[in-house]
Amino acid sequence: MDISRADLKHLASLSNFSMSDEELDSLSGDLQNIVSYISELNALDTEGVEPTYQVFEMENVWRDDEIKPMDANREELLDLTTEEKEHQIKVPKVL
Amino acid sequence: MKYIPTIGVECHVQLATKTKLFSEIDNDARGKEPNSCVSPVDYALPGMLPRLNGEAIKFAIRAGRAMNCKINNYSRFDRKHYFYPDSPKGYQITQFYHPIIGEGYVELPSGTKVRVEHAHLEGDAGKLTHFDTYSLVDLNRVDTPLIEIVSMPDIHSAADARDYCKELWRLMTFAGVSYGDLYNGNMRFDVNVSIAPEGSDELGTRTETKNLNSFRSIERAVEYEIKRQTKLLEAGEKVVQETRGWNDATGETTGQRSKEEAKDYRYMPEPDLPPINLTDEFIAEESAKLPLMPADYRAKFNGHLPNDTLEILLDYPQLIAKLAEVDEFAIKKVANWFTSVLLAEENTSLLNDALPSENQLEELVTMTDKNELSSTGAKEVFIKFFDPEMHFKATREIAKELGVIQENDLGALEAIVDAVLAKPETQKAQEDYRNGEQKVIGFLVGQVMKESHGKANPSAVQEILKKKLA
Repeated sequence: MDISRADLKHLASLSNFSMSDEELDSLSGDLQNIVSYISELNALDTEGVEPTYQVFEMENVWRDDEIKPMDANREELLDLTTEEKEHQIKVPKVL
Repeated sequence: MKYIPTIGVECHVQLATKTKLFSEIDNDARGKEPNSCVSPVDYALPGMLPRLNGEAIKFAIRAGRAMNCKINNYSRFDRKHYFYPDSPKGYQITQFYHPIIGEGYVELPSGTKVRVEHAHLEGDAGKLTHFDTYSLVDLNRVDTPLIEIVSMPDIHSAADARDYCKELWRLMTFAGVSYGDLYNGNMRFDVNVSIAPEGSDELGTRTETKNLNSFRSIERAVEYEIKRQTKLLEAGEKVVQETRGWNDATGETTGQRSKEEAKDYRYMPEPDLPPINLTDEFIAEESAKLPLMPADYRAKFNGHLPNDTLEILLDYPQLIAKLAEVDEFAIKKVANWFTSVLLAEENTSLLNDALPSENQLEELVTMTDKNELSSTGAKEVFIKFFDPEMHFKATREIAKELGVIQENDLGALEAIVDAVLAKPETQKAQEDYRNGEQKVIGFLVGQVMKESHGKANPSAVQEILKKKLA
């Protein structure tokens, strides 16, 4: 499978990344190598092999529905944002 | 040409668990400050891992069984990737491939059956408020547990679309899995509408109108879409497949610009949450916790109550549950007090969780049946049941305090009637009555009622008067 510049641009836009031409060039090379490497797995015959979704073979791991004290308070969390207003996170207008 | 509409509904239900789906943070953010119910997990700080809320699984089982759905033993979570400020993780944890709730159906009051394709568990997104040049993000709602219920396209009218959504609301509130507060977005509906010429095997191009949160807006939006699409086809134009928004003020849907590539969600298995594998016993145990549902009440009260009364009461889970507790002889009158007194416009403030006991209600019926209370007196007592100071008192005690117990003792009534007939101001009326003017008996009954301070039973008074004046 070939990774084109258009594919990479599409992927970047889905994640809202802006990339320079140089970055696009170098990343498409890197990504192409990764995909080629992984593609080698296609040589294996996986007929009848169940897909592996996780490797720990655990299931039904859940907790009780009890409120626990917060590990961090609102101000500590909001301090991590670039800009806040009225205890909310301020972001460029979307839509 | 006649066109047949085909409608499918997707419904998001917020589950009323104590904590969120993946963190041990207060899930009930009603009336709380923005971003006050947010943990580092909800904030998606690096290294934070989700911890699944077991109660949400149990709620999902109950919700599924409420819709006659098969509960899948095996289910698991996937990541749905998208970039938007309402989701700090950059993806939503949902169940794309293996949902917990399988096929089922919802039966509408009209008898129409709408099949449920599946329903899955997922986390809600945060709330955005848009301003001129910026938007504000409140993450209180992030990862509130949701179930998304996907119907089959079995609905063919705006009224059935409304009824289906309303029945879902009833099922979820009766099952006790959601607060069902539509105004606060506890349940949100997306409707897919298409139309096709009558007799056609193929469905037309559909539009999806998103985020409807009232039954009225659902009905109006579907009606509008059917009209709009019919007009387009009749003019030889085409319906464009798109997402539309509803404007309640104008009563119109409008197309929302959305980039085609936004649909590329790159689903992948959620590696941080092991799969769910439920035993049949576990599913049966949770299903058994389901209380009486609307269908059970319809069966129970069939023949005891008119349909419209029953359907009104089914909008108030606490009232219909109370009605199910009162003795059979009292059902009709109690249902009537509920619908015509308690739910009357001027009394809406009375309705709270502290309902009268079945003993109080039954005694009120008995006293009314025995003519100890007039219908007006019974209403007064009924209203006092909701007075915090009277709430715990016996019916008779309240009636006595209000002084509304009717005098049925014939001897006592006769004495009052005699006293009234002896008064000079009633002589003319008596004479008129004897001369054939039957109507004046009303005046005389009124005089007796006045003399008895309203406690006399008017029909008994009338009988006595007729005898005395004969």
